[in-house]
Amino acid sequence: MENVITVGLGESVLSRNPQDVLVAFGLGSCLGIAFYDPYMKIAGLLHAVLPEYVNNSHAPGERFVDTGIENTLKEMVAAGAIQASLHIRMVGGANMLVSAELSRTFDIGTRNIASAYKTLERLRLKLACQEVGGNIGRTVRLYVANGRMTVRSIGGTEHDLG
Amino acid sequence: MAEIQKLFDDEFMNALREVTLEGIHNAARGFSGMLGQPLTVSQPSIEFVPVFQIPERMAELESEAVAIYLKAEGELTGHMVLILPLKTAYDLVDMLMDQPTGTTCELGSLERSALGEIGNISGAYFLNLVNERTGQSSRPTTPAVIVDMVGAILDVLVAILCVECEEVILLQTTFSCSNRQLDVTFWVIPDSNSLKAYLQRT
Repeated sequence: MENVITVGLGESVLSRNPQDVLVAFGLGSCLGIAFYDPYMKIAGLLHAVLPEYVNNSHAPGERFVDTGIENTLKEMVAAGAIQASLHIRMVGGANMLVSAELSRTFDIGTRNIASAYKTLERLRLKLACQEVGGNIGRTVRLYVANGRMTVRSIGGTEHDLG
Repeated sequence: MAEIQKLFDDEFMNALREVTLEGIHNAARGFSGMLGQPLTVSQPSIEFVPVFQIPERMAELESEAVAIYLKAEGELTGHMVLILPLKTAYDLVDMLMDQPTGTTCELGSLERSALGEIGNISGAYFLNLVNERTGQSSRPTTPAVIVDMVGAILDVLVAILCVECEEVILLQTTFSCSNRQLDVTFWVIPDSNSLKAYLQRT
């Protein structure tokens, strides 16, 4: 029986329980970044909100794409995952405010994606696949048992990613 | 006690509650006038809420909804959002366009424009009352209409708010129409820095 674990905004959740399904509901401008070690069967899902850590911020690192990726990677490795084996996928980063007055200054989705690319490159991590951008929200599910990842958007059917 | 609570004493919060209650009723008057139907307003609540707990205020994050988002700009700033289930949005469009219920089954540009106008009217009526009571001047931005899962809509709102602050004052009410199945959540989130500046001016 599946055990759904919600990964809320600014959170990162790791699991090696094969019954767990890690879910990030309604990723709009946020990014859901999934890490999976297929040999150790360890899964991690990060739900990051903002692109880059702000100096002297006391906010949890997982809120930001750059420190969120770093922290989740460290936790995965500490839990026994092998960095070279990690299968990494990314979803979200939409720009949803379609309004002439607002969208000029509100492009957090695009900036989140750019920050993810930069951080992954810096950490020498390879992105296996992604479904990002656009202007619709997405829900992602990461199945710990086998690393399956699904994406669902409004009015759409659930489909596998990578 | 939340950090934000320490900025505003009980007297100010009572005054804020009174003004926003009047503002909400005025917003309902504008909305009702456009709809041609009477609306009731549920007892508004005012809470201090950590920004990242805002999604917990709504159930069913995967359900489909429409949000009409406006910023308030000027001397008093903040955010206003109307949130309604997608099916309710279809019914609302039918009411606005004087069509039988069930006519609208997707939201094209005309339908979104009609919904945006509801946001515009509600926001403008709310701010007009607040401006009158406080002697300050604020105006709403052009509304943005978002059609998506509730979680994605709130995700955007949290991303906007968390850049400014960790906690907000959240005013929440529901506009209902007894003649038709219509429940629309109305949120007002004043910017606490502009409230502080207002307190210092008065």
